[in-house]
Formats: sequence, structure tokens, C-alpha cells
Amino acid sequence: MANVVEEERFPGHPLLPYLLILPSVAVIVLFLVVPFLQSVQESFYASTAFGTNTVFVGLRNYARLFESADFRNSALATLMFAGFVMVIGLSFSLAVAHLLNQKIRGQGLYQIALIWTYALSPAVAGVIWALMFAPATGIVPFVVAKLFGGGLINWMMNGSLALFVVSAAATWNMLGYNIVFFLAGLQNIPEEFIDAARVDGAGPWRIFWDITFPMLSPTTTFLLFVNMIYAFFQVFGLIDIMTHGGPGDATNVLIYKLYRDAFLYLDTGAASAESCIVFVVISVAAVIQLNFATRKAIYAR
Amino acid sequence: MKFKNWLLAGLALALGVCMVPQAAVAAGKVEITWWHAMSGSNGKVVDAIVKDFNAAHPDIELKALYTGSYEETLTKYIAAYRSHTAPTIVQSYEVGTQTMLSSGAVTPVYQIPGMVGETWDWAQYVIPITHYYESGGNLWSLPFNSSSEILYYNKDLFAKAGLDPNRPPQTWEELEADGKKLLASGAVKHVLSFGWPDWTFEQMFAVHNQLFANHDNGRSGLATKVLFNSDFGVKVIDTWARLAKQNIFIYGGPEYSANAAFQSGQIAILIQSTSSLAGIEKGSPFKVGTGFLPRFEGYPRGNSVIGGASLWVTKGQSKAQLRAVWEFFKYLAQPKVAVEWHKGTGYFPSVNSAVQDLLGEGWFSKDQNYLTAFLQILSGRRDTAAATGVRMGPFVQVREFERTAIEKAVAGQLSPKAAVDEAARKADQLLADFAKLNR
Amino acid sequence: MTPRLWKAGATHAALITLVLLITFPVVYAVIVSTLSFQQAYVYPPRLVPGTELWHNIVEAWDRVHMGRLFFVTSVISVGTAVVKIILSLMAAFAYTHFRFRGRALLFPMTMVTQMLPLPVRILPTYEMMASFHWINSYSALMFPFFASTTGILLFRQFFLTVPRDMSDAARMDGAGPLRYFLDILVPLSRTNIAALFVIEFIYMWSQYLWPLIVTNTEDMRVVQIGIKMLIATDQISPAWNVIMAGTIIAMLPPLVVLMVFRKSFAEGIAMQTAK
Repeated sequence: MANVVEEERFPGHPLLPYLLILPSVAVIVLFLVVPFLQSVQESFYASTAFGTNTVFVGLRNYARLFESADFRNSALATLMFAGFVMVIGLSFSLAVAHLLNQKIRGQGLYQIALIWTYALSPAVAGVIWALMFAPATGIVPFVVAKLFGGGLINWMMNGSLALFVVSAAATWNMLGYNIVFFLAGLQNIPEEFIDAARVDGAGPWRIFWDITFPMLSPTTTFLLFVNMIYAFFQVFGLIDIMTHGGPGDATNVLIYKLYRDAFLYLDTGAASAESCIVFVVISVAAVIQLNFATRKAIYAR
Repeated sequence: MKFKNWLLAGLALALGVCMVPQAAVAAGKVEITWWHAMSGSNGKVVDAIVKDFNAAHPDIELKALYTGSYEETLTKYIAAYRSHTAPTIVQSYEVGTQTMLSSGAVTPVYQIPGMVGETWDWAQYVIPITHYYESGGNLWSLPFNSSSEILYYNKDLFAKAGLDPNRPPQTWEELEADGKKLLASGAVKHVLSFGWPDWTFEQMFAVHNQLFANHDNGRSGLATKVLFNSDFGVKVIDTWARLAKQNIFIYGGPEYSANAAFQSGQIAILIQSTSSLAGIEKGSPFKVGTGFLPRFEGYPRGNSVIGGASLWVTKGQSKAQLRAVWEFFKYLAQPKVAVEWHKGTGYFPSVNSAVQDLLGEGWFSKDQNYLTAFLQILSGRRDTAAATGVRMGPFVQVREFERTAIEKAVAGQLSPKAAVDEAARKADQLLADFAKLNR
Repeated sequence: MTPRLWKAGATHAALITLVLLITFPVVYAVIVSTLSFQQAYVYPPRLVPGTELWHNIVEAWDRVHMGRLFFVTSVISVGTAVVKIILSLMAAFAYTHFRFRGRALLFPMTMVTQMLPLPVRILPTYEMMASFHWINSYSALMFPFFASTTGILLFRQFFLTVPRDMSDAARMDGAGPLRYFLDILVPLSRTNIAALFVIEFIYMWSQYLWPLIVTNTEDMRVVQIGIKMLIATDQISPAWNVIMAGTIIAMLPPLVVLMVFRKSFAEGIAMQTAK
């Protein structure tokens, strides 16, 4: 974020910039920073449901979480879920965007036909996929049973299968968004690079790995981050509608566990500790991605 | 500068829209609010009762608000209480009883008559129900919607398997034998499922007069240890795991997920809340029979546990509001209102007079199934803590642990003993925390 | 056929297959929304559309008072989008056209807001809403979402591409910064404003967790919670036909917004990725 403005464009208005950013900063401080700091503080306390008694317990909430199998299970489910959404989702979206990027007739139409899933909310995606996998009458288990034999099973009653279905639903939900960005990124790659490589005799895979992928790294990094945020936080509606965190906590991803601890079990301390842990995880991941991206971008030059 | 004016005006307008306009209270009326979790058809019955009450008491305006599920209602109540915007009355589910007792936020219901200069006969309420909600022998909340658990069975499938359609299994041993016959008849792939596996587990303890937690099931003092990993507890889970291995029992998920399987004839026996009776009878194209919860031979007799919710009164009400609340509670105790509530929802009426009226008008002879739940409750013990049911602070979480233990044992992931021990360990830690925090 | 035609044909085939695969779930949902309750439960599952669409739509609409849900959700979606656009335009203008102390804060602020999505601060924010007496109000539904820097970054990026000459010319003409901002810069940003509107509208329309906990009464519920309410049946099996009808209705507004502003949306994104 280099400093672009050298000399004042509109001298004589010393207060104006502060007034202009004041609403944004005020809102951010009041509704973002303050609650977060409170979260941090509350994570060091144990309190009763009604707040009648609050006791400082230091790191006990954190220790309890790390020791608890439920939390570890939740963390694992979250990692698998997010990993699926990010890796499978981006790979698939990139492939589709690459196809879309070919010079063919009707490209605009295809674009529309693929992008619109972005408008679907996670809850809508959840309810549609719940329908497709409904016990006893879901169409997907039916088709699978017919294709591969075997009896009709209730996918949503099996922990691993349920996690898979939920991950697939979430990935599907983000396809439109990912494709739009990848397409834009692909279209930004100068033709000359590709043509030059082709003239040099490079095959499509080499072109992809040596030119396309590195030049896409800003987009990829951005999408990895957005998909991670989506998988960690925005899928709450999807999970609530499809599985409520079950069966047997198989889909009890961190955000869902947090909701349960805060609003069902009324355990403010544990929920706050979980919030902070998630914050640290996201921050670390963001920093890693940022470093990785800058390095790759330099490499691309 | 024009822009800034517009911006300020816009923000002011937005803020103006944002403030929820306070409804103007009609002059002279005492307004009381009631947050409840009765949705769907139950909610309609609530609305009807509230409407009739308001009509009968023109000086009172009772506003009933559906605020979501039991959990949501409780969470919102807590936030509202802490910001001094709590409703007058709130419906809290039975597992939230200890949380409410420890909250310091309520006026115990038994004190209200005295506070408004009246007397009240608390013996007019059905005893097992009042015993569930009592603390120190007094009612802190008003029982409102109470249910219990019974056994439902498919009479047609029983007949097909050569079993007497009028004789449901009374013990787990009988159930196993019946189950084998049902499987052999080829009519079903599985025989039995439950709703609310955790509640069913607790029922087993109460039905056999076994304590579920220490300190008299948490009733003489805050529970600090669970007792459900006793030999009896292991026996219960072991039975279910064994039945599952024989394909007699199939795990049915939480709450009401197992109902569909029963209604569509995929299973022959369902252990489920009494509140499902109307829905099951309506949605099942076969003859539905009911029976008591199955027992284990050789163990003492207790009683089935009450489930549902009760009404709590937020403290700090004005005299006029307390009087209004009391008028409403008296109204609910009128037999015709209690009967209307039972007929519309399937929940037990909480007053004896209503039970008598129902008997008198032959309500139970019209449909024997409605009688089963009553008989079960009224014929059981009412004098021990074990038969009354357990009370715990972190009840909701402990139920999760129970459910996980059942799931793991039934799926063969853990031995029954290991499963309940794991659940007990987690529960004990929570109970100890709760007891320390809420001393 | 030439290799080029083969390639084009294969690409078309692949794309058509993908389109079918990706849109199948929604197509199936539409089909189910035309069936009756029993028809939605037949086995094998039915793929032939039925005739109950209108009936299901009316039923879904009535059951959860969809009209009111739409109103509330529209207010918060449009309202939040508009407010965020205004705040972002102002802040981006400040950051790109002025030198002032604290300008370097932009980047850290961005990072902070990105890493603190609502769930990370949900409890204290909820308690804050309760203490402001904002529970069950438009304020509670909207204010916490005003805190975001997506828009600031978007507009900052764009403003940097506007040539210096424009502001110099304006100053030469005697126009102050606000005049320049309102009369020139903002109209120039039309595409980005539309793009941000689409993003924020869809984002707010999709909100689930926050409205779930912060609203109490049916008259303040949002569409997403309406879907949840359609499914939440006590003891009977879910009425998929009605649920799907409700879902289809719920999907439409964000779809319409996306389609209407499609071009601007795509252009705005292209502008973002062109570094």
C-alpha cells in the first residue's frame, strides 16, 4: 500500500479527511474492536448463565478446550471441511473458469449460467442439498444406489458421509463466486506470454504451471482467503439446516460448536475462548497466505 | 456541505427507523408480557387461551410472544434480563429448571399469592408434576406443559407376527422376544427406535427408582457427580447395544426423527414423548397401541419422568403486574382451560379437577391411548427423588454426553461401560464447575 | 473436422455438462416445489414436475408470513448496502486524496476487520445490542455490519486509477474537495458502486446466524430464518414441496439483483483483479 499522493491535492482542508473517515472508524471501533476485546477478556473468566457470578480462571477455558475430545473433534471436522471447500472448490472452479476462458460462441451465456449460484445463501444451499439427500427419498442416494448397487442408506446418519455431503454443498455454494474471480484473473493474463510459450513448444500443462498459475496467484490467494472465511464462518446456516452439527458431532464445525456453547449451553467462557482460538487460526492462515502470495508474485515477475 | 447535511439526515432517519416503536398501552390496562416457545398448532392454542383471558379481564393486557425454541427463548431471556427488558413471564424448559433456580432473576411462584393478598391451594395440581418443579417443597415455577414418555406400537404388525395386538411388551425381556418374532415374520427390518434417547435413558433410571445424580438427584443440593455410570446404567446401555446388534433396535436420532420410521411402518415399536400421540395417530395408517415404558425384571418400581416446561415470573414486578400475573395463573388452573390445553396439545392438564372432568366426560374411553400416559404417571411412586427425575445445572450439555455415549455404544465404537464412564467424567467436571460457580 | 472444431466441440460439451451438473440441484428443487406432499415422498423419487406450484407458494408464503420477511430483509439489505457504500466512498476518498496522520492505519484496519468476522465477537456484540435495547430492531440487524473495509479497498483501488489531472482541473475551476467528490468522483465510480451493492445486498440477504439470535418476534425475522421455520416441524416429516416453494421465492431477490447488475459486477471484479 505505497504512498501515492505526493502533494496535497486540495490544500486548506486539514479537518476534512478526519471527518470523512470518522463514521467508518467509529463503527469499526465500536462494533468490531470493542466486542473483540471483550471476547478476549471474557475468555479468561467463567460465569454463570445469568452473569450473577464471574470468576477469573486464567487459561483454564483454553486448557479445557484443548483437552476436550469434543473440541479436537470439532477442530478436525472444521479443517477437513475447510480444506475440502478450499482445495476441491478452487481446483474445480479454476478448471471451469479455464474452460470458460476459451474463445467460443456463447461465452456470455455460459458465464451467466455458472455465476448465478453466487446469489444463493448458505441456508438455501443447505436446504436444497438436504432435500437431495433426504432419508429414504433423497434423489442422490437413490441414483448412487442404482448405479453402484447396494442398499439405500441414509447418508446423513453416517458421520463421515454427512461431513462429505455438507462439504460438497458448501463447495457448490461458492462455485459461482470462485469462477467469476478466476475468470477475471485468467482474462488478465496477457496473451503474449501464452503465445510465446506455445511458440517455444510448451505443452498446455507446462503453460499452466509456469505461466498461468503463478500469474493467478493474487487471485488464488484472495480466493483461498475468502473461501476460508466462508468455510469457517458463513456456513453456519448450511450446517444448522442440514445437520445441526450431527450426526454425533460429525459436522460440529467450530462455528457451530461456538454457537452451541454460547447460546445453548450458556457457557460464555468457553465460547469466548473458542472465538479467540478461531481468530488466531484465521490470522495465522492469513499471514501465511500473504507471505506465500508475495513470494509467488515476485517469482512470477 | 449539502452532502454532509444529506448524510446526517440520512443517518438520523435510519436511526429513527431503527428504534422499535413502543406500542402505546391503552390507558388503564396493566400490561404483562409472556415469552414462550410454543410453535405451530400448540402456539395457536396458546393464542386462543390468551385471547380468552384478555377478554375475560378487560383491565389486563397479556401479550404472548413466540420467541423461538426453548433454548432460544432462554438465551434471549437472559440477555433481556441483564438489560432490564425481561418479560413478565417466561416459559423455560424442564432442563433449564436449575439454571432458573440459580438465576436470582425470578420471584418464586409460591410466594405470589401472599404478595397479592390471596391464598391458594397448591394441592389442586397433579402431584408428580409439582414434585418435578418443586424446590424445598415449594413451587418456584408454574407447571404449564407437561409430557412424559410411553411406548407406541403398531397393532397391525404385531398381529402379522403372531403376537397379541392388545398386549405390548412390558419388560425389556419381553420386548426382545417380541422383537425376534417380528423380525422373523419379515414384516420389518428393525423393531424398535426411540425419540429423545437421552431422556429415555433418564426415564429408565426413574422408572426403576435409581438415582441419576448425587445429592438426591440434585434436589437436596446442587448435584456434583452423576451416578448414571452405575451397574444399572451399564445394564441399560448394554441392553440397547445388544438389541442393536440383533437388529431389533435401531438408533433413531435425537428428538422426533424416529417418528417417520414408525408412521411409515418401518419399525413396529417406538418409545416417544406423549406429546407425539395426536400426530402419530393422525399420521399412521394402522392401529396404534400404547403401553408403559418397558421395565427390567427384578428392579424396584419408580415412576416415569415429567418433561416439558413451566412458567417463571421475573422479579421486580409492580404490585399491579403481579396481580395480573396471578389472575392469569388462576385462569390457567380453571378446569375448562386446562382441559382445552390438553385437548389442543396433548400435554397433561396440571390440575386434578381437569383430570376428573376428562374422566367424567369419557374422554379416555374414546381413545384408550390418552389414558396410558396418565396411568403411568399416576400409578408410579411420587415420594422419592429417584422417581421424580434428576435436576442438574448444565443439564443440556450432560444430555449431549448421554446421547454420544448411547450412539457410540450402539454403534459398537465403545463398550457400554466405557461409553457411560466417558460421559460421566465429562458430566462430573461440568457439575463441579456449576456447583462452585453457583454456591 | 479440424482440430480446432474438435476442441470447440469438446469445450462446449464439457461446459454444457458442467452447467447441467451445477444447476441440477436447483432444477430439482423447482421440480419438487411443483409436487404435492405425498408426491414428494414417493420412492423412487419423482422427476416429473407436478401441478401444485401455486398452491405450495401460497402455503409457504402464508405459513411464515413471507411478505413481512421480505420487507424486513429488503430494508436491511438495501439499507446496509447503501450505508456501507456511503461510508466506504468517503473513507476511500480521504485515504487517496489527502495526507493526514493515521493514513497508514488503513492496511492494519483492513486486516483486522477481515480477521474478525461477526462470529468471533458474537457474544459481546449481542450483549451490546441488549444493553442498547436494540434487540429485535433494525439497528441490531444492521449496525454490526457497517464495520467492514471491503468497500474502502474497492473504491481506493479505483480512485487510484483516476488521473491526477481531474482533481487538478476541478481545483483550478475553484471547486472544493467535496464538490469534486460529489460531482465527479462518485459518478465516475458508478460501476464499482453497483458491484459493491450486489456484493453487500447478497451478503446481507444471506445472513442467518445473526438475525437468528438477535430477533425475537415474527415481525422482525428475515427470509433465511423463514426457511428454517418452514423446515422446523415438530413431529411430522418435512413438507419438502412447500419448503422448496419457499426456498425458490427466497432465492429470487438476490438473483434478480445479481442479474440486473451483472455487467457492473463482472467489471468491478475485473478491475479488482487487474493489479
